[in-house]
Amino acid sequence: MTISVLNGGTQTTVQDAGRPGFRHLGIPSSGAADRLSFAVANHLVGNPWDAPALECALGGLHLRFERPMVIAISGAEQWAQVNGMNAPMNRAFAVEIGDILTLSYAREGCRSYVAVAGGLEATEFMGSQSTYMPAQLGGIEGRALKAGDEVERADDAPTMTNTIPASYLPKLSNHIVLRARSGPEWELLDAHSRRYLFTTPFIATPATDRMGSRLRGDRIVTSEPLAMTSGPLLPGTLQCPPDGQPILALADGHCTGGYARGLHVIQADQWLLGQIAPGAKVSFRRAFEAEAPEILRVRNAVWSALIPGFSF
Amino acid sequence: MSVTNPKPSDPKPSDPRILNYGDHAVLVHWEVDGFDAAVSDTIHGLAARLRAKGAFTEVMPGYDSLVVSFDSDVMPMRSARRRVEDALRRVSTKDAQADGRLIEIAVDYSGPDLAAVAEHAGMSADAVIRAHVARDYRVCMMGFIPGFAFLSEVDTRLAMPRHATPRAHVPAGSVGIANWQTGIYGLDSPGGWQIIGRTDSIMFDASRDVPFLVEAGDRVRFVPA
Repeated sequence: MTISVLNGGTQTTVQDAGRPGFRHLGIPSSGAADRLSFAVANHLVGNPWDAPALECALGGLHLRFERPMVIAISGAEQWAQVNGMNAPMNRAFAVEIGDILTLSYAREGCRSYVAVAGGLEATEFMGSQSTYMPAQLGGIEGRALKAGDEVERADDAPTMTNTIPASYLPKLSNHIVLRARSGPEWELLDAHSRRYLFTTPFIATPATDRMGSRLRGDRIVTSEPLAMTSGPLLPGTLQCPPDGQPILALADGHCTGGYARGLHVIQADQWLLGQIAPGAKVSFRRAFEAEAPEILRVRNAVWSALIPGFSF
Repeated sequence: MSVTNPKPSDPKPSDPRILNYGDHAVLVHWEVDGFDAAVSDTIHGLAARLRAKGAFTEVMPGYDSLVVSFDSDVMPMRSARRRVEDALRRVSTKDAQADGRLIEIAVDYSGPDLAAVAEHAGMSADAVIRAHVARDYRVCMMGFIPGFAFLSEVDTRLAMPRHATPRAHVPAGSVGIANWQTGIYGLDSPGGWQIIGRTDSIMFDASRDVPFLVEAGDRVRFVPA
């Protein structure tokens, strides 16, 4: 026994880099909703960037460590405490037998990652230990952690921890700005909707989870009623149903959809989708065709130098 | 000499449009009305070719479209589009027909909406069942959730729209109709399709060596249980 769950919080799951490549079978890619913060936490404790770690949405997680180990917390801005004393974010630190870690409610952003040196043990399905709750795949019995669960450390701890200079770490806020390119049905949106999408923020409604985020704002509609045959759908796509309230697909989002795909968040900004908390402001900025690959190239160059093997 | 209507099995369906889907995916879309078997064959042939190359993250066939996604730092959009265009030029409907399996699925036709579909069709329930089993269906697309099989078109008389308000719970194995589509629910889920029957065949079981009973490109034959 290595880690006891005293309280699972709002929703805590085991995630890794996900299982891409199976959407044609109806299996979403899943994986850490914020790939960057997840990779940072793993790197700090000396793990490969894609080792299984805990993803805690909105906070409330209480863990008790039953063995000494090295952990790191990254992601949403919040108070992390060990035995009631403030614990550092974005830095590896040791915990002792009986230490209790608590994550308070996320003030800025939505998801925190708790990485343990050595990684976590979880059920593997199709090459990944990521939890996908709708089909109970991966993770701990394919579900969110609850009080009484025990999570095992996978391997003996790596000996070297790492640091990442604070100036590189993203500053999360509750106004998430996503750069996006047009989706396949962009042209079918009416002129007002096309202008509005890039000019005024939306609010993420309580219907915001790992599958997607229903946004509230001005109505986004097609100029003609659209009778679309269902087709493939990707995470980061903004679907625009006839009721005018768009839905942003996330890591666990459906593999097919039947609504106009208005926007698609650029590859370099997909990690930010995981930091949309219910109630957050969400704005879209147009990424131009020549700009998107350049943003990605620069970000990958910076981050792969900091975290070996990582890319967005 | 004049050119007459193309045969239904015309191996060269109309040229599709290739559209950028954001900065790291490409959509190939055919303008068709309802279901087009030749387009579907082309889509699955194209999917097989693109998947064989192993260069794309996802290769997702649909009814009238196909989406590929890729790491745009490794494969720029321009080169992704070129690969898709090349594969489109080479694809033939034979690519798809060659490797599709035929899978028999036993169905207990006593679904809650069988009577409604019969009334909609102006047929007896028995005639609806006979019409539903009379043809083999192509698995056109999988998803929205694991194991859900979107199948090709039903006898036009059976085409009935979805429920205006979806049911909160449709059990796994339910066989339904939504307009010209028919399909099988892979997991318990909410759903709006007209449920005419149910199969005991498990469409998706994560603990099996091969979790999926069918895959896109396969053919399905329903047999009354």
